[in-house]
Amino acid sequence: MKRYAYYLSCINESMTKELDRSIDFWQKDLGLEFVKLHEGTCCGGSNLDYVSPKHFALVNARNIALAEKMGLDLIVSCNTCLMTIRTAKKKLDETPALKQEVNDILKQEGLEYRGTSEVRHLLWVLVDDVGLESIKAKVTVPLKNYRIAPFYGCHILRPSTVLGRDNPLAPSSLDQLIEALGGQTIPYEHKNRCCGFHTLLVAEEESLNVAAEALEEAINAKADFIVTPCPLCHTVLDGYQSKALKQANIDSSIPVFHISEMVGLALGYTAKQLGIKRHIVC
Amino acid sequence: MTETIDQHQEGKRDVTFRVFRFNPQVDSKPYFDDYTISAERGITVLRSLNYIKEHVDATLSFRAFCQAGICGSCSMRVNGISKLACTSQVWEELDKCREPGIIKVEPLRSMPMIKDLIVDMDPLVDKMKRYANWIESTMPLDEMGKKEFLVSEEEFHRYDKATDCILCASCVSECSILRANKEYVSPAVLLKSYRMNVDSRDSIHDIRLAELVKDHGVWDCTHCYRCQESCVKSIPIMEAIHAIREDALECRGPKDTSGAKHAEAFMEDIEKKGKLVEATLPIRTNGMIWTLRNLLPMAMKMIVKRRTPPPPPLVKSAKGIKIFRAMFREMTEHVKQDHQKSHKK
Ligand code: SF4
Ligand code: SF4
Ligand code: FES
Repeated sequence: MKRYAYYLSCINESMTKELDRSIDFWQKDLGLEFVKLHEGTCCGGSNLDYVSPKHFALVNARNIALAEKMGLDLIVSCNTCLMTIRTAKKKLDETPALKQEVNDILKQEGLEYRGTSEVRHLLWVLVDDVGLESIKAKVTVPLKNYRIAPFYGCHILRPSTVLGRDNPLAPSSLDQLIEALGGQTIPYEHKNRCCGFHTLLVAEEESLNVAAEALEEAINAKADFIVTPCPLCHTVLDGYQSKALKQANIDSSIPVFHISEMVGLALGYTAKQLGIKRHIVC
Repeated sequence: MTETIDQHQEGKRDVTFRVFRFNPQVDSKPYFDDYTISAERGITVLRSLNYIKEHVDATLSFRAFCQAGICGSCSMRVNGISKLACTSQVWEELDKCREPGIIKVEPLRSMPMIKDLIVDMDPLVDKMKRYANWIESTMPLDEMGKKEFLVSEEEFHRYDKATDCILCASCVSECSILRANKEYVSPAVLLKSYRMNVDSRDSIHDIRLAELVKDHGVWDCTHCYRCQESCVKSIPIMEAIHAIREDALECRGPKDTSGAKHAEAFMEDIEKKGKLVEATLPIRTNGMIWTLRNLLPMAMKMIVKRRTPPPPPLVKSAKGIKIFRAMFREMTEHVKQDHQKSHKK
């Protein structure tokens, strides 16, 4: 069993509950144990860092310190949480004075940020720790008849100085996962583009234009579904899909899956178990 | 196959440049021309284009000047990515071709086309003007030339990196929001505004900031980091964008614009619950009327699917929230002290 601390992203506790639930079905099958971090707090969602850089450092030093206390790496399944917490980690590791200031406060809770735990994405755990061969060996229902558009999203790739796992211009980890599960990836220009999530409430029209382009390419390429490692991308591409396509005058639709659901399907769990029926488009 | 490998080792091989062509005066739509030339290892994309223009097709148009990554005029998309042709090695580009041996060359995106690889920079220049991206000196006219402007090293470091910008517009071409709306301020313009706003010699910070927080300004950036990733001078553009936002929150207050309200909500919720209260975020950002008009139909669908975020009373606080809150507030005291210190200075 490989053990990890698992960060609870706000969105997975509210709008995309099916993401975390579907992991619970298959984590044991792949020899993984995710210990949920119920004491963890919101990372600040790529906003707190400029609203208050010091609170941003404190909150995320604490999130990481909770994992360090258990001696585990911190696994995140939302791109923006991943980028945000890794950004904080980089800041803390590079700024001893900030680390000291934060640790002086964290003492109250018996915590200390040391910088010993890595902060990684669920996708990286699957591809790098479990490994493609082991995943292949566990597949019971290969996705062999599916043409799949891999939508990586921004914050698992950029800024590459913070993320660094995939080449941001030609990412491949998600493509590899799809293929290990027996699926067929399609060439997809928008794979490393943006979904528009972060301006949905501030510049809705622009955000929906951004999303519509990504959806349109997948639809035109006759993909059976889009898969994304990010619940925020999922929220735009699924939840806002009809609005985005309407704005772009496109009369069509396409399902969007979380990676946790795609893995679940290939390991023999049903769409119903995995919560795929909860999606707006299905 | 062996022949190509041999050629590769010799450091000379045939390379095809698939170049975007368009002359709005005669062509009804753009097309591509293929030029195959024998290229040596070490040659740049710009040198190849120069060779094509001199020896193959004199009608091919592109901009270039310094050939050394300084002037910013040769920016174009090579194999889909906006960059400088004069610093892009053909040999490196060959590894990135979608079709083996064919390097695709296209003009920058999101800017009006003039001819072939030349785009119109005027809209960008106009935006630089709209956001007043120059210094209006704080020194009275009669003292000019008589007194020195002293700039501390600390201040210099604040804009050192931003002044590396060569206005090539690669970041502009890669911007997600500009692609969605041509009115958007653009990353290079934001970077320049930041640079001016942190300069102690400048007197129009407030005017500039007032313009930046309007529609199509700094709050419309969607944090995609494409600009930063494509910057040919590796400038951390997002740090500049974040700094403008931080400045706007401080100078104009968190209730100033929907963008500011949205950002501030994260701070509020984390202090209160340790979790984001998503259900009320649209209302707190844009008010009740906007929310009902824009989100009601979608909310209905989400209710059916039980995807709606829980209402505030049902958002469970993070475990151990009491001690977390105390620590959060202690940090608030630290921040207050920092402010006092910096204002004394
Ligand atoms: S981060 Fe903002 S400015 Fe930069 S490319 Fe994305 S939307 Fe444009
Ligand atoms: S910020 Fe970088 S990419 Fe953008 S115009 Fe300046 S040098 Fe070019
Ligand atoms: S020609 Fe000047 S930057 Fe390329």
